[in-house]
Amino acid sequence: MLFAQALINGILVGALYSCVAVGFSLVWGVSNIINLSHGIFVILGAYTTFWLFTFFHIDPFLTIPVSAATLFILGFLIQKHLLNYVVGPSQRSGMGVFMSLILTFGLARMLENFMMGIWSGDWRTVTTSYTGLSLMIGGISIPYIRIAVCLIALISTWLLSVFLNRTRTGMAIRAITFSFDGAQIVGIDIAFIFSITFAIGAALAGIAGSLVSLIYSFSPFLSTPYLSWAFVIVVMGGLGSIFGAIIGGVLLGVIESLATVYVGPGYQQAIGFIILVLLLVFRPQGLFGKQFLK
Amino acid sequence: MIMQEKWRVYLIIGVFLLILIILPFMSNKYWIRIFTTIFMYTTLAQATNILMGFAGLVPFGNVVFFGIGAYLTGILMVDFGLSFFPALIFGAVVCFAFASVIGYPILKLKGHYFAIATMGVSEAIKQIATNIQITRGGMGFNLPLIPLKIEAAYFFFYFLMFSAMVLVTLATYWISRSRIGYALRGIMSNEEGAKSLGINTAYYKLVAWGISAFFTGIAGGIFAYWYAYIDPPSVFDIGIAVRFIIMLLLGGAGTIIGPFLGAFFIELLTETIWSKFLFLHLGVLGAIIVLVVIFMPKGFMWFYRQRFSLSALLENVRKGKL
Repeated sequence: MLFAQALINGILVGALYSCVAVGFSLVWGVSNIINLSHGIFVILGAYTTFWLFTFFHIDPFLTIPVSAATLFILGFLIQKHLLNYVVGPSQRSGMGVFMSLILTFGLARMLENFMMGIWSGDWRTVTTSYTGLSLMIGGISIPYIRIAVCLIALISTWLLSVFLNRTRTGMAIRAITFSFDGAQIVGIDIAFIFSITFAIGAALAGIAGSLVSLIYSFSPFLSTPYLSWAFVIVVMGGLGSIFGAIIGGVLLGVIESLATVYVGPGYQQAIGFIILVLLLVFRPQGLFGKQFLK
Repeated sequence: MIMQEKWRVYLIIGVFLLILIILPFMSNKYWIRIFTTIFMYTTLAQATNILMGFAGLVPFGNVVFFGIGAYLTGILMVDFGLSFFPALIFGAVVCFAFASVIGYPILKLKGHYFAIATMGVSEAIKQIATNIQITRGGMGFNLPLIPLKIEAAYFFFYFLMFSAMVLVTLATYWISRSRIGYALRGIMSNEEGAKSLGINTAYYKLVAWGISAFFTGIAGGIFAYWYAYIDPPSVFDIGIAVRFIIMLLLGGAGTIIGPFLGAFFIELLTETIWSKFLFLHLGVLGAIIVLVVIFMPKGFMWFYRQRFSLSALLENVRKGKL
């Protein structure tokens, strides 16, 4: 019974993890940018929901499009006016590839400071009238909110996959991952596509943030766990792979949840990181494939 | 001409060191403490420089050796009754050994993957240190206080960190001119090429990371004795690693002077901002990082070699732009 409960908790929360990771994975796979401010984007999404809920009493689930749109615009501007300046020809080799990493670190500190300055460092939660309710099946309790969160996370990931496979812009994004030079030759505007990709990554982080606000408490300084989940999942599922991100997320959720029950809550994160290192050493191409790894 | 240049460099270094030696006698405890911190970060940045500046591998989780050095120094002093210096050296040697063990598989990784793997190791060790008994877990670890008067203790740590900084700089200088340095530069520009010339790249990377870990451990040990209280979040903080990597990039990776410039600049600046605008310091630091990355992606030292020309700055922006 305990096992089944832990398993279900893990799967439900795992879908949320994949929603956090998939945008991170997309940006990394397409433009080779490791976005250290991804965790901050999640928190920004959570704040969007929190404020709309607190001031206008809008149902948190209805605020998801708003946080997606906000983060989309923010992400587009960041890539267009900052990150595109450090991914050019002179930054494609040697130490240059780390410039985007350092830049997003600086950006994360700025946004963190900005959030703390205007919204203070208090811990916030979104508590609705239906927060505590849960579905009971044979002694296992499943909160309704977590079911909804899981479904929305999966739907947004599915929408991303439809976008990448069915639209011209989506196919342009995929073309870049196959061959940067080839994409340039056929006339794809790389700078624009990079901006769109980053914007989509940020929008997904925003959606994940809205969902996070429903089940966890958050503050400007609680962004690191989301970033480290994203890292572990990307390495697990393979760079740039959506299917891999879903499986990786669910797997990580289940492993963490079982570890909390059977090993002790303190080791929850340690296990995630140990998996990360072992995978990098033994299966750097991810668990399922070898796409996008040059 | 070249000889003159050389003597001028020696003169500048001599004056610089002399100022740092005289400084604690002229100023108050506040500044002594700040400069001890600066020396610590210079040591860390310089130690990272050995791997990052020459071999081009970015060890994002190098702070793990800082933590291990700090904890081992503490544990050996409290539980095994060693005195400070043997404990410090022992801790640093363990760091060297640990780097060699984990380096064997991890150093095969390249670029981002290496950076993330080291970060993973660091976070995993941090979680383990929080949960096991010998480190006293998340409660933190108290070290014995140094049996000196407060004034004397300030001087002791100032000169201890100072010596660590000088030692690691001499080691880096030696490496840069030895076979190891040339092998590492070869790895940075073309690893396959270096291999085909018969360079044992795996061995040289291990040695470089080992030496880097050794000095990082030394800095950690001194830090532990200096603060007399350590806990996992403070000594395994990835933020420390990011900080000294940024200092290194800012100063100029692969140069001997770079880490000094980066550490002095960032630390003094943070201290000023901190005391003037308490609530803005993170944001200002972030803004500086963003500007430096865009305008001086290779750091101060390279900007100096470009003769401080403004057109060089714009050239950097143009080359970096997509």
